[in-house]
Order: sequence, then structure tokens, then C-alpha cells
Amino acid sequence: MNIMMKTITRFVPRRAAQVLGAIATVTLLNACSGGAETQVNPVTSLPPSTGYNGPAPATADVQSFKLNVWDNIQAEAGCGDCHGTDGQAPTFARADDINLAYEAANTVVDLTSPEDSRLTTKVGGGHNCWSASDSVCADLMTTWITGWAGDLVAGGGRTINLEAPVIKDPGASKNFPADATLFSQTVHPVLTQYCSECHTSSAAVAQGPYFAEADLETAYDAAKPKIKLDDPATSRLVVRLREEFHNCWDDCLANANEMQSAIEAMANSISPTEVDPTLTISKALTILDGVAASGGSRYEANAIATYEFKTGEGNIAYDTSGVSPSLDLTLSGDVSWVGGYGITIANGKAQGRTADSKKLHDMIKSTGEYSVEAWVVPANVSQEESRIVSYSAGQDARNFTLGQTLYDYTFANRSDVTDGNGMPAINTPSNDEILQATLQHVVANYDPVNGRSIYVNGELINIVDEQGGGSIADWDDTFAFVLGNEVSSDGLFAGTFRFVAIHNRILTPEQIFQNFDAGVGEKFYLLFSVSHLVDVPEAYILLEVSQFDNFGYLFNAPHFISLDDTATFSGIPIQGIRVGINGSEAPVGQAYRTVDTMLDSALFEELGQPLSSLGTVFAQEQGPEGDEFFLTFDVLGDNVNVRTDAVPLAPPPPADLDPVADIGIRTFEEIAATMAQVTTVPRTNPDVQATYELVRQQMPSEATFGGFLASHQVGIAQLSVEYCNALVTDTTRRAAFFPGLDFNASPSVALGNAAGRSLMIDPLVDSIVGVNLTSQPDRAIIETELNNLIDRLSTCGNSCSADRTQTIGIAVCSATLGSAAMLVQ
Amino acid sequence: MKRQIKSVISQLALASTLFVLAVSTATAGPREQAKRMHDRLAGVPPTEAVLSAMANEIANGDAVAAANIAMENSAFYNVTLKNFVTPWTNRDGDVFAPLNDYTATVIGMVRDDVPFNEVLSGDILYVGDASLGLPAYSSANNNHYEELEQRDIDLKEDLVRTTQSSLTPLPPNATAGVMTTRAAAEAFFVAGTNRAMLRFTLMNHLCRDLEQLKDITRPPDRIRQDVSRSPGGDSRLFLNNCIGCHSGMDPLAQAFAYYTFNEDTGSIEYTDGQVQPKYFNNESTFPFGFATPNDEWNNYWRNGRQALVGWDESRPGTGNGAKTMGAELANSAGFAQCQVQKVFRNVCLRDPVDAADRSQVTTMVNSLTTGGYRLKQTFAEAATYCMGE
Repeated sequence: MNIMMKTITRFVPRRAAQVLGAIATVTLLNACSGGAETQVNPVTSLPPSTGYNGPAPATADVQSFKLNVWDNIQAEAGCGDCHGTDGQAPTFARADDINLAYEAANTVVDLTSPEDSRLTTKVGGGHNCWSASDSVCADLMTTWITGWAGDLVAGGGRTINLEAPVIKDPGASKNFPADATLFSQTVHPVLTQYCSECHTSSAAVAQGPYFAEADLETAYDAAKPKIKLDDPATSRLVVRLREEFHNCWDDCLANANEMQSAIEAMANSISPTEVDPTLTISKALTILDGVAASGGSRYEANAIATYEFKTGEGNIAYDTSGVSPSLDLTLSGDVSWVGGYGITIANGKAQGRTADSKKLHDMIKSTGEYSVEAWVVPANVSQEESRIVSYSAGQDARNFTLGQTLYDYTFANRSDVTDGNGMPAINTPSNDEILQATLQHVVANYDPVNGRSIYVNGELINIVDEQGGGSIADWDDTFAFVLGNEVSSDGLFAGTFRFVAIHNRILTPEQIFQNFDAGVGEKFYLLFSVSHLVDVPEAYILLEVSQFDNFGYLFNAPHFISLDDTATFSGIPIQGIRVGINGSEAPVGQAYRTVDTMLDSALFEELGQPLSSLGTVFAQEQGPEGDEFFLTFDVLGDNVNVRTDAVPLAPPPPADLDPVADIGIRTFEEIAATMAQVTTVPRTNPDVQATYELVRQQMPSEATFGGFLASHQVGIAQLSVEYCNALVTDTTRRAAFFPGLDFNASPSVALGNAAGRSLMIDPLVDSIVGVNLTSQPDRAIIETELNNLIDRLSTCGNSCSADRTQTIGIAVCSATLGSAAMLVQ
Repeated sequence: MKRQIKSVISQLALASTLFVLAVSTATAGPREQAKRMHDRLAGVPPTEAVLSAMANEIANGDAVAAANIAMENSAFYNVTLKNFVTPWTNRDGDVFAPLNDYTATVIGMVRDDVPFNEVLSGDILYVGDASLGLPAYSSANNNHYEELEQRDIDLKEDLVRTTQSSLTPLPPNATAGVMTTRAAAEAFFVAGTNRAMLRFTLMNHLCRDLEQLKDITRPPDRIRQDVSRSPGGDSRLFLNNCIGCHSGMDPLAQAFAYYTFNEDTGSIEYTDGQVQPKYFNNESTFPFGFATPNDEWNNYWRNGRQALVGWDESRPGTGNGAKTMGAELANSAGFAQCQVQKVFRNVCLRDPVDAADRSQVTTMVNSLTTGGYRLKQTFAEAATYCMGE
């Protein structure tokens, strides 16, 4: 095994001003500068009763050891039972002389890296752990030692030991055969039978990808990313049916099983294949081969309850603040653990005991201020009155609650300027849609001077707390602390918690940004060996990798690094980096395939030469323990792998559609323009224009017959009446249009015979219907209808009004103008 | 009088129905073909003189000449083209929206046979003739065009070609055809992240929404920080859906990095060299994502299955700003095909349904691309194809 190692000091906080002395054992790289101030951690825990009666601590550091570590390992961890006075060496828990205990403790702690202390690793390994979870013991011990280290850790550096991983080649995995025959015999028939109404290019509403295309090759290409040969049940084609109920054709479970069976039939016929030998590949790693990169850079000096959700199993979320009593939370209902630290509450809650919750009451009342900090992923932006973090007794009584309503975070605090339910609450501005269904860092601060404020992802949200600050003397110590719901289980917050902390001081904006910047969850540095590809000793591509959620990994910020500090080089080309998983390149998420740069040792920074500042997400396949990663390169040094994107196959011609009418109707403005043209009335006529504006949207907007409605015809009739009214009531215009027709005569005179009626009917039909057009309605039938209309309207005997002929003219004109003879085109 | 008129409306509907029943089914001759052609192109029936002239051309075997006669009618511009284009100019596809500079510019380009593949890149604008006494063109409002429409001014006669750079704050290299008109800016650059301008341009000029363009295999390195990689805590949603559109869309929409629409002034704004703050909206959603440094665009859809769009191989597929990106889109085969499909539907009142229709579309696409991108010619060819037999 190669034991090359590089130790890198990362500054915590990242921009810390102080530079830690040369603690690293091999190499120390200094990189960052500037940043937040550091300060001595105040003692926040309730002092345990230790009954120490020995000599006084000789130095301040001994006193710090006593307060932060010794008191806790006596009171809570019970280390004194074995490692006490005259007990087993090292006697770091001896009670006779704190200075001697301090000397012993110094042999089993690493104050620059508390999590790597012997004390921590022993209890974390199960050595007399006093909690049900070894990781909780380790976290508590880390917290205590960190408290002792104080400035040293908070303002100094944390070392990252980049240790050369075991060299191994990528393993074999099942890959898709180039030929689609197997696909055609197994999965394709299922797809074409059930998915072709949407997932084909010829579908009425085509939905990509076209994996149900009748053309086999096209369908095969499209289906590959949706099929997992190594684990058919997790194929997207199956999950969509089984878990997301996506257009099942009858019973979703049965449909999913049918799809899975088809994929299994395909997978079972494929032998695992080696990694494509034409690829230029790095050596392989699993995520567990990485170097832990998480933790250490948060500001937690005043944390009185902390939840990191590291346990990953069981029904208790442990409080790892190290502040007694531990306010552990019991998970109830539909609550599941999230890989990479976290819990997801689908329909349940995580609630602490009232007696333990009293810690919050006591310690926050003593300062009068507090801060609620959480990394959360709201499941949606549609839930309302949802309790994210709450210290309350039900819907009507609370000390504080951080909640969600749609796109808003809400924050209620009980004080003497609010009611007993903490109302009125403050909300983030709804229009800004601050809350999103994605991982967010949210901090709710309360202090008696400024009242409430909310920070999201490190930024203060502009909210005015009109109530302002007040006294929290009336807080009730009988309430319970709960995540994801109201204690009465009627305020569900569906979502994921990655981290929660309660501080009994407000976090300053700098501290909030520091904690946001530190991120959340478990991270690793993966060192992909490429020494066999370039002439650089101990050469690696370093990637920060974390489990992003239950379904994916986050790969971030690739660097090129050599663990050999003496290595110098330049001018080595590197292009097209892709991540491989389980023997093949991941089909989706390859953000680094556009990398194109030259390697140069002069460009080294803290973690080597940056190749990209981006992060990208890859799908999880077999879980963190099973997924094996490697990198491929288009160009690395002298290794060149020329690739060309496959030319996509053109989809086959779509099937013929049913014949449709090759005629249609005029639309609204065509109707108006037509009426204007045939009547000679301009569209700008005020009456016409007013009516047009009135009925414009009532007339057809589509030229097809399918959407034609009775209301359309009413609108057309109204407009035709208006045009005809404008035509017939304008003596000049009507004289030109109806030459020889006397509109002032009575109907019996003007329209009493065929000749008179022709003077009215013929100009209209000639103009509107046209002449000698076999595609238009039969002229004789039209004239008969119009004559019948004149007959009916002329039946007024001797009581006809003076303008009756004019009225008949408008009616006959309108009947013709508003008819299908005008409308159909 | 009005009351009397209303009393006869019920009788009109009956008459209308009877007229439909009486339509002849006889085979169309040149007069019938000319009538339909005129109806479809101008939206209004022809006069007897025009009908006769068109019928003569058809009888002589030159239907395109007949179509050109029909397009001499001002209604082709004032009605047909206006309603053809108006839905492209707003997010709702509203055909009732007022006339605006986007619509007028397209109408003018068609009238003057300006190569239509300049519609997304040209420094071009059409305004009403100065002699009309209209309110002057303004970057701050649409009054100029609304009065043009309200007065029913003949767009065939009174639209005048000019440049955006002479009438707006945009420098010539920041103009990008209709994308940088005031109407487009008001609709698609307003608020948001400027992705809307790309999406609606793709919908209106490539006849493809993002659903048809998505390809999850494209590199996601240009997806901005505001896109959650784990919506609701489930990265599968991102890897199977979001990434498909954003991986191609975001590097193209970067071309609009210096544009926005100022709702206070009512004007388009262009900040040369300065990326608009909207490109950093919600940047903490995924801080490891792409932070836009400039207006360099890349067309990742040139490779992968969207190569089928038919991108112009003589172009580099990358550039800076909306002008070159617009040219990238408008010189694709998909653009030409889209224009033809839209015209076909507008004139024939239906989509292509069979092999003959598809063949005609192909012929028209070839005619458009090899004939100087004259969209009026495409209208004429579609009218000829659908004039009836």
C-alpha cells in the first residue's frame, strides 16, 4: 500500500486570520486568509455536579479541560469508573488532582482535530459508550474536546490528511449491448404497447424521450438511460410506475412488476462486461475510500441542542450538543433516515420529552435571546401552517415555532408583546418566494432588542418585526420540543432535516454565513489515481464527494494534485473528464466533460490545481457502499480518446392522420374586414368600431369548424347588423350600393314586386356571396330565403312605420352578411 | 331602430344554416380556386375584377401569380399577417393583443421580402410613416402601434423600415430582430430569469417547446445556481427531468445576460458587459452551479439527439450576445421547417396529414431556404397547394 500522505490545514472558520503552527506531520499548506473573528467558547452547559475537591487547576488550560471535558466525562460518560484515581492508565478521569488528569488526557487527545482524538475514536468504536449509539458518544466527546481546545480549533486550522488510497482497477458491470435485438424481445414490446400514446415522436402531444417509438433503434437509445441492468427494480421505467403512479395502464404495482420482469429478462441475458478498454480511465474508488472532509467549520459556541442525524437507524435522533440534559428526539410515524445524515418526515414527527425540553426554557430564558438554525428540504411549496421546528404545546400555545406556509418561512415567538401563541408571527415576503423545495439553511433569531429576524442561505430576509423585542419571562417550561409537526400532530411539515441546532445566543450575520458556508452532511475527498496516465508522481484527480440525498451523489470542484511535494510539471493537457459508476460512464450529469485545460504545478492551490469550480449530481445506483467510481478522460497527457457524438437516427415518418376538412371559417378580424369590404362601410365607422370591440372576442379565433359555437354566431350577427345598419342608414352609401331602391317608400311600394326586391337582394348576393361560384351556396335558394324574410317583415298592413323598408333592408342585409356564405372560407 | 334589428336576429341564424346546407359540392374550377386562395391569403373575398384576374392566372397554370395578386390586398397585411404574428408576441399566445413593434416588424419583413432568417438577428424595425401624424415610436410605450391599429391604417402602404439602433437605446450589435423589440422585451424579458425569451422564441420560431428539445445526456455545466438539483429532496427529478431542458437552455439563454425589461420605465434595458442581477436569482439554491460571467452562449443541442434540428454546420455554435444566438436559431433547418408549418396551417387551415402534405412541406422548406427566405413566397405556395381541386 502506498502510504504517501499530504496534510492540508483548512482554516476554520475558512477565512480565519490566525495561522496554526506547524502541527502537520508531513506537509503543511497554507492557503486562506482573513475572515471571522474567533473567541473563547463560553461555557453553556449546566454545570454537572462532580464533587471535585483536589488542587486548583494550575493554568487556564487546565481549567478549560476541567470545565469542558473532565466534568462531563465524570458526570455523563462515567469514565472515572475505570480511568479514575488509581484506575487503568491513562487516568485522565482521576479525581484526586485535576492537573494530573490533564497530563494524562493530553496523551489521548488531538486538540487540533478533536474528532481524531484517541478518546473520541475509542468511544466511537464502542468502548464503554454510555449512549445507545456509538456515534453519539463520539460526537459528544468531540464536542467536549472541541470546547477545551477553544481558540485552537475555533480560530486555528483543521488538518486534512490526504492519504493515498489503495490502487484498484474499475470492476465489471452490466452494459447495454450495441445491438437492440435483446431490447426488442423484452422491454420494447411493453413500451410500445403501453407508452406509445405519449412517448413517440408521432404522438398527438409528443413527450420525450421517445422510448416507445416503433423504430427500434430510436426507442433503444431513448430507453437506455431509463433502465438499470444491475438493479432492474430501480430502473426509472419501473419506479415511475411503482412509486410515482405515472400513467399506469391498470394496476400500478402489477404494471411495475411487468415492466421489471421485462427488464430482468433483458438483464439476465447480459453478462457483466469490463470497462470499455478504449477509454482512458483512472483507478477506481468507492465513496468509503475517501478522506472525510466534513465538519469543524461551524460556529457552535452557544449551541444548547444539536441534531446531526448521523445515526442512520433506530427511532431516536440524538442531541449531540454536549449540553446536559440531552434533548433526544423520538421519531414517530412515517419518518425515515436519509443517507449522508438526515431524516425525512413524510407523516410523523420527532419530539423530545417535556422534561428534557425544559433545557431550552431554562437556558434561553437565562439569556433572553436565541437562535433556531436548520438545514431543511421542504417537500413541497404547497403545505401551510406547517411546523418545522417548534417548542410548543399544540395549536394554541407555544414558546417559539419556525414554520412553513407555502413559499414563506414563518416565525412565532412568545413574549410580552405577543399573545401566548407567539402571534402575530412574522413571514418572509410571499412575493419573493423565499422558501423553495430544495436544501436551504434557515436561521430564526430572536433577541429582546430587535425582536425576530429570519436568515435564509446566509442572507437576512427583509422583514420588519412590528412587535419588536420583548420579555420571554412568560415562557412555559411544560412545552415539548418537536421537529416536523405540532406536538398535537396537526401541523405536519413534510420534508427532510439535515441538521438542526438551537443556540441560546443569537447568531451574528457573520456566524450565520459561516455556518451556511460550512455546508451540511458527510463529505469525502476522493483521490482518483492517474499516475499511470501522466508522468507525474503520485498524481490524482481530487473530487469532493457527498451523498446529496437518498438518490444521488454530489461531485464537486475537481482538482489535480500530486502528493509528492517535489513534483513539478507543466503543459500536460487534460480534456473531457467524465465520471464512471460501476463499470460505465454515467449517462447523465457529466458537467466536467467540457473541462479543457493544461496541468501546471505552478497553479496549485490548497487542494491542487482547480479543474472546475462546479458541482454536479450523479444518480446513486447500488448505494454508497456498493457504487464504485472512476474517471475517464478524452485527453490526459499523451492519452487521447477521440469520441464523436453518435449521429441520432431520424424518426420515421409519422403515421398519416385522419383526414380533416380543407375548408374552415373566417376568424374575428377576417369577419370584420370582410363585412367592411362587402358593405363598403369603413372599419373606422364609430358605431361599427364600438360593436366590433364589444364582440371581437365573442367571434371565432380559430379557423376550424370544431370550435364553432352558437355564441360565435350571435357575435357575428351583432356585427353584421351593425354594418348593415351603417350601410342602410347612410343615404349616400345605400344609394350607391342599392341603386334604384327607394328606402323611403313603404314595403308594398318599394318591395311589392320582383323587380323591387331584386334591387335589394341582388346587390347583397352579388357582393357577399359572389357570382358564378359553384363552391358558394345556390343563389336561387338564397333568394328564396331572403324573399321569405321580406314577406314576413312586410306584413304590417297599413300600420307600417315610415322606415319599415329601411328596417327590412337592414334585416335582409344582415341575414346575408351574417350567413355561412360570408363565414365559410 | 336597434330594438327592431335585434328582433330579427333569430331569423338570421336560420338563414345562415340553410346557406350551409346549400353549398355546392361541384369540383372547383379556376374561379372557385381563386376565391379560396383569396379568402385564405387576404381573409376577405375578392372583388369580381380581382377574382377574374386570379382565375385567369390559374387557368394559365400560374397559381403563384394568382396568389401574388391576392396578397396585393391590404388585408393580407392588416388582417392575415397581423393575426398570424400577434400570438407570438405574448406569453399567453393571445391573438387579441394590440398591434406592436414585433408584429409590425414581421409584417414589414414579409412585405419587403426581407430574408426571414434575419428575424432573430437583424437591426430592423418597422414603424408607421411619419406623415400619418402618429405618436412617435417610443421605447417606453406602445402608443405608436396602437394608434396605427385603431385608425386601421394600411400597413401595406404605410409601414416604413428603420433600425432599432436608431430609435431605441440598443447599440447595433445588441439588436436581435424581433427578440429585442419592445413588445418581446415586455413579454419575455420582464422579471424572471430571461429563460422565457428563449423558450418562447423556440416555441414560435422552431415550433418546439422545451419538452421536445430536452436531452438529459447534455453536459450540465452551464446550469445556473437557481436550479435545484434535488427538488423536494429527490435528485432523481433533476436527473430525469430538469437537467434535460436546463442543460441546453441555460447556455443558450446566457446570450440574454445583458438584457432586461424595466417595468418602471416600460423600456428594454441593455447593460453591455454587465450581467443582469436576475441571472443570480436564488444563487444559494445550488451554490455549486454555474455563475454567469458574461453573455457567451453555447448550443449544446448541436450534439446528441437534438442534432436532428438541423443546425447550420457553417456556424460555430457559440458566440456572444443575442444577435449571434438568434442567427444560430434562425439558420437551422428547424427554423425554416417551422415557418413553413405555420404558414401551411394558416393557409390550409390544418396541419399536414399525409405523405403528400409532408412532401409539399419539404418542397416549401427547400424553396424558402434556397429562395432567399421570402415568406410571402411560402404563403403563395401554400395557397396554391390548398386552393382545391
